[in-house]
Amino acid sequence: MRYSDFTTYDLLLLAQGLGVTIGLFLVTSLIGLVIGVLWGVVRFYRIPLLTPLITFIAELLKNSPVLVQLFLVFFGFPAFFHLNVTPVQAAVVTLSANTAAFIYVIAVSAIESVGREQIDAARAFGLSRWQILRHVIAPQAAAFSIGPLTALLVNQLQVTSLISVIGVMDLAKIGATLNLRTLKPFIVWAVVGLLYYLTAKLIAAVGARYETRLRRFSEFRGL
Amino acid sequence: MQFDLTILGPYLGFLGQGAVLTAVICLLSLAGAVVLGMLVAIARTSQTAWIRRLAFIYVDVFRNIPFIVQLFFFYYGLPEIGIYIDAITTGVIALSIAGGAYASDAIRSGILAIDNGILEAAEVSGLSKRITFTRIVLPIALRTSVRPLGSVLINMILTSSILSTITVNELTGQAKIVASDTFRPFEVYAVLLVVYAALTWLVSIGISHLHKHLNRDLASEAA
Repeated sequence: MRYSDFTTYDLLLLAQGLGVTIGLFLVTSLIGLVIGVLWGVVRFYRIPLLTPLITFIAELLKNSPVLVQLFLVFFGFPAFFHLNVTPVQAAVVTLSANTAAFIYVIAVSAIESVGREQIDAARAFGLSRWQILRHVIAPQAAAFSIGPLTALLVNQLQVTSLISVIGVMDLAKIGATLNLRTLKPFIVWAVVGLLYYLTAKLIAAVGARYETRLRRFSEFRGL
Repeated sequence: MQFDLTILGPYLGFLGQGAVLTAVICLLSLAGAVVLGMLVAIARTSQTAWIRRLAFIYVDVFRNIPFIVQLFFFYYGLPEIGIYIDAITTGVIALSIAGGAYASDAIRSGILAIDNGILEAAEVSGLSKRITFTRIVLPIALRTSVRPLGSVLINMILTSSILSTITVNELTGQAKIVASDTFRPFEVYAVLLVVYAALTWLVSIGISHLHKHLNRDLASEAA
């Protein structure tokens, strides 16, 4: 006989799944942020060969389904390179790379959003290219990019749900497990959906807070 | 192991079938999403507050919950309430509803961008509200939102790969079968990645041509 009622232990399972989802989301967002910004800096320095290569990889990652990327890393890499790839490793690699590709686009437009005349002025003052990037561009680019970045992260949270397909026990996978056991899809998926929704709202709220903080300095303060 | 693409040769027709199914699903879902998006965009620009709020809740909910959760909700939930439909139809419905949330935003901004003068001109010409909407507002809004609707379509092509998790054998589903048939997942998924990227690239070119063609009268303004 199967035990098909909800138990209090299910709440623990859901909390665990939510923890895995949020943990992987934070880790991959951070790695993606670092890589994406690095790619943006490479483009800023106009490094030959590397710049077009990065643009190509980013385009490929942006324009293909994350599910296929996951399959490539999780099924393709072990078969081709004779590696052992665990589901979590595959998830981290794929989601980080995918996030990096989108952050690269934001970083590029953020760097380009800073007016040409400011860079010319900074150069006239004798600032090096790195000093210009660090002290002139970075603060303004950060304020510019926080809006698109928040939208991206809200989206990337939803993308993390795909890793359940390769067997990572994240929130969606816990949902699938509970669904199979209790056979109450409406309750299970509504609760799972609600948890995702609340997490997305939390990310959006944090992003909005940072935005007002970063933009405070660029507002006209009066004479 | 050698990177050998010739093993895919015998499966090209098989993969082609999957690609055709992906195209059919995406076109049906696009039609559904645009119709739904139009209705929701009308609701969101309505003068009645509760209709506006209801439409906003729909958009907010379906944009902030992962598509895979929505899909499972429908796929496992609908039979529960006595609606038995096949996986492809379920997929098209889920894609239409999720796409509708994004399409409504695109169309809504198209509606909001319409010059008030045009509406006033329609009003003094004695056109009824309904005629003004169907003959003047919607054509202009749809025309200017071709580009954002195009990115909804591109997103839909990428998202449709998730349908492979509910046994729909579209492009990704077929590729999964080929991968397990040939034991060459790396080649299969690498090719699939490039195929999806090429497909979305072609679609985006088509869309910008369509956009230029439909908005040719505004060419000087848009430039």
